Amino acid sequence: MSLETAARLSEILLALALIQQSLEHLRGGRDEQILFLTRIGLCGLVIAGLASPWPLVALAGLSLLILQRFQGPYNGGSDRMGLLALWCLTLSRLMPSLALRELVFGYLAAQLVLSYVISGGVKIVNPDWRSGRALRDVFQFSAYPVAENLRRLAERPRLLRAMSWAVMLFELAFPLAMVSRVSLVVALAVAASFHLANACLFGLNRFFWTWLAVYPAILWLQARLV
Amino acid sequence: MFKPLALLAPALIPSWNFFDVIAPSPRLEYALGTSAAAAAGPWRAFRPLPPRVAPLEMLRRLVWNPRWNETLFLVSCAERLINHPTAHSEDEIFRRLAADLARGPDPEAGKPWLSFRLVFLSREGEALVETELFRAAPRLRADLR
Repeated sequence: MSLETAARLSEILLALALIQQSLEHLRGGRDEQILFLTRIGLCGLVIAGLASPWPLVALAGLSLLILQRFQGPYNGGSDRMGLLALWCLTLSRLMPSLALRELVFGYLAAQLVLSYVISGGVKIVNPDWRSGRALRDVFQFSAYPVAENLRRLAERPRLLRAMSWAVMLFELAFPLAMVSRVSLVVALAVAASFHLANACLFGLNRFFWTWLAVYPAILWLQARLV
Repeated sequence: MFKPLALLAPALIPSWNFFDVIAPSPRLEYALGTSAAAAAGPWRAFRPLPPRVAPLEMLRRLVWNPRWNETLFLVSCAERLINHPTAHSEDEIFRRLAADLARGPDPEAGKPWLSFRLVFLSREGEALVETELFRAAPRLRADLR
């Protein structure tokens, strides 16, 4: 996959993810409606490939106003990944040479790898994660489970311990998937299933679409490096 | 204060430490009253969880999940209100509470004063502990539109 193809695919997927999020904001107050209607229009231009790179530049500028409006990301980690992808794609388009464009786009891909590895690392050093207690706490009293019946999973410690180790080992082993195209595609399919499960169980739908939008970057980086 | 670049920096140089520790979890509760003094209880859970969510509904929420995402934003506001208190977080919670109450049939229309409190759940040993960490001064619902 060429840099141009991968960046364009990421732009389109990110624009679609941002449109999905923006539509959800249209039920908010008037200030939110103005910000997010503008974002939908700019995303439309990105998808259509019109006036590139200026719709991306405008989206990056608009992201600062949205950050100011909510005094931070609206939805934590997923919005942070969306911002990172948006700014890397924008800066990559603006770079004056191919080497610099690759550097910025490669940074986005590297951050995707780090998002899994560091998440796994901070968990495995915590005894509560290794014992399954942390995941039990997530189901028992955190704000994330979308229904009361899911809280009953906290009563299945052996299952939660196995799930904890599966998540930690997968996250830590993710960089090994870079050795070949096939192993990376398999790892990304597993990772997407993990985000899908989080969307279903914890209502984290934004993570699913935002992480998916960055997958072309890691596919490009793997082909570039190996 | 306009500080978007300071807010952007953690996104451009992320930490990725998702769920490294399971912190005490906030619950938002509200009370209505005929006067400011009366809006001090009984406290009601804001958007209590449904008993279950059907698999098809879970899949539908992949593309349309505004209510839950707003609830998660209110969780962020609650955490910010404790860790780095600002008027913004309190205003957001009040405004979204009032808007939510105004959306449906309003059997409490005769109670114009609204207040909320934040109760944090945490685990001590095997026991779950609830601690009230914040209680907002009541506001008139009409002022929150």
